Amino acid sequence: MSETAAPRSPSAISRPVSEALLNEKWDRCLSNLLVKSTLGLGFGVVFSVLLFKRRAWPAYLGAGFGAGRAYEECNFNLKQAARDLKRPSV
Amino acid sequence: MLRSSLRSARLLGGKPIAAAAGRQWSVAAARQAPLAKRFYADQKTPPVLPTSETLSSERAPPPPAPELVDTTVTPSEIPPTPPPPPPVSQSAEPPKASPPPPPPKKKKGFFRRLRNFIFTLMVLGAAGFGGGVWYSRVNDTFHDYFTEYVPFGEQAVLYLEELDFKKRFPNARLGGGRRTDPGEKVRIPAQSGASWRVAEKTEPSERRTSASPSVKKPENRPEEPAKPAPQQEAVVAKPAEKVTPPEEAAAVDSKAKATDIKDTPAAKPLKSIDLMALPDAKEPIVRDLVHMLNDLILVINADGASGKYSSTVEKAKDEVLRIGNRLKDLKNEAEKKASEDVRSTVAEFDVAANDLIRRVEGTMAQQEVAWRKEFEEQMKAVRESYDERVKLLLEREKKLNEEKLQNQLLEQAIALKKECLKEVETLVEEERNSRLGKLNDLSAAVSQLEQLTTGWNEIVDTNLKTQQLHVAVEAVRASLEDGQHPRPFIRELVALKEIAADDAVVDAAIASIPPSAYQRGIPTSSQLIDRFRRVASEVRKASLLPEDAGVASHASSWVLSHVMFKKQGLAEGDDVESILTRTQTYLEEGDLDAATREMNGLQGWAKTLSKDWLAEARKVLEVRQALDVIAAEARLQSLRVE
Repeated sequence: MSETAAPRSPSAISRPVSEALLNEKWDRCLSNLLVKSTLGLGFGVVFSVLLFKRRAWPAYLGAGFGAGRAYEECNFNLKQAARDLKRPSV
Repeated sequence: MLRSSLRSARLLGGKPIAAAAGRQWSVAAARQAPLAKRFYADQKTPPVLPTSETLSSERAPPPPAPELVDTTVTPSEIPPTPPPPPPVSQSAEPPKASPPPPPPKKKKGFFRRLRNFIFTLMVLGAAGFGGGVWYSRVNDTFHDYFTEYVPFGEQAVLYLEELDFKKRFPNARLGGGRRTDPGEKVRIPAQSGASWRVAEKTEPSERRTSASPSVKKPENRPEEPAKPAPQQEAVVAKPAEKVTPPEEAAAVDSKAKATDIKDTPAAKPLKSIDLMALPDAKEPIVRDLVHMLNDLILVINADGASGKYSSTVEKAKDEVLRIGNRLKDLKNEAEKKASEDVRSTVAEFDVAANDLIRRVEGTMAQQEVAWRKEFEEQMKAVRESYDERVKLLLEREKKLNEEKLQNQLLEQAIALKKECLKEVETLVEEERNSRLGKLNDLSAAVSQLEQLTTGWNEIVDTNLKTQQLHVAVEAVRASLEDGQHPRPFIRELVALKEIAADDAVVDAAIASIPPSAYQRGIPTSSQLIDRFRRVASEVRKASLLPEDAGVASHASSWVLSHVMFKKQGLAEGDDVESILTRTQTYLEEGDLDAATREMNGLQGWAKTLSKDWLAEARKVLEVRQALDVIAAEARLQSLRVE
């Protein structure tokens, strides 16, 4: 009858499909990493300009801080998800 | 517009004239002079009035100025103005003679003119006054006018009238004299007025004596006409003294004085007259008389003239006693008469009352008799009417009874008839039953045949139903397998349910299908396989994850999954790779059930990733199972029928 109607789309919109769960998490982690490392880099640059006579290392240090922060958050997220998965199964 | 203009015009007309008059004194004076002249030409007197009036009028300021001017200009005109005011009285009367006076206007000599003028005025005024007096005596209305408006006119007229009166009645001078002298009367009492010396001076005593008799008069007139007479004369004489030459009065006075002087010494030794006492005088008239007498006696005693009046007073006492006795007698007589009258009237009333009572009794008796007669007649009438009613009632009851009896007879007849009919019917039916029993058997056989046919019909119907059921199930399956995309098969299911009527098995099977399945439709097998491939690649990425994996482990698993070897066919082992391989092979074989079972064995991340696919696969399996059950039921039914 109505062959064009795709009943799959609503489910995709409302909730990510089960096989895409992990991918979504990875996406979020990467974006987070990008944003935080950029932020750290910016701070580092500012500090280097203001305080450290335009040395390069404060910028790297800031970027490193940002990346580390993002990694930690991602790690926490994944572990939390794993823990959530376990609970209903157990 | 017009009104305003008119108003302004009025204002202009009103004010400016006055203003002009105020401004132009000399002109006004010049004007007034001719006016005055004109007045003189018309009438002689008017010029006088205007001047006197102008003083009191609104234009008070202007006139004085003209006068001042006049004095300078025409001094001859001023003198005539002041004199007229006295003759103002004449001005009212002169209508007859006023016209002639004007002539002295010609300028000869001022004094001459004045003299002539005054002379003529006086002559004319006297003539007019005299004429007025004379005419007032002739005409009454004119008399009223004259006396009221002309000064001294009244006196003159009165004097003339008096003269006339004297001519007619020369003897009646006293009345006229009295009338004329009320003013002088006031003076004389001062000479002979009452003084504080009572006993010594004769005049006051005389006065008192003269005053008391005036009260005494009404009582004592009949008794002592002699004494009061001289006193009265004295009283009359006193007023006479005041007016008439007091010669006679003086003579009387001297006589009276003499008598009094003689009496007073004689009275002194005498005892004072006793007061009158009437203990039994109950009547007010007598009491008043006694009081008056006592007052008189007291006065007399006070005067000391008791000796002089004792005899008369005694007489008076006797008279009073007599009057009291007479009054008593009169009273008694009157009482007697009244009592007699009362008795007679009482007797008359008794008689009349007796008559009345008798009459009333007679009428009462007559009325009683009449009423009795009426009562008896009415009673008779009532009795007759009641008798008639009773007769009527009796007749009706008789009729009713007869009718009732007839009704009972009829009922009995009807009951008998019914019994007869019933007996006949029973007999007829017995015969019928015996004969028609066989017919009943035949009809039963026919009905059995009919039942058989209906049974066969039912079988045919059920067959049709089962066939329809089969068709419906096949339609559902076709709809499931047919499309490229999943689509709802709710209509097919509804048709199936309707066809199945109230089949419990079919209902249960349909109920087992999850509603989302027939609302959204179920994916076809090819779609399931397609999706499985995607799910499998994802699951493989997470296949090497340990429990509680972090970022590093995920990354390593992702990296390593690409390096791993893939298995083929039905691989042994419980690891994720072998399970996935087995599932794939089952799917390729078309065994969805086994594939689902294999996928259900996954653990951890792999299981969560494949959850959606599993749910879909389960749905498909459920629907298929339900359809299988319905088909089996349909087959069973078709088997049952045969």
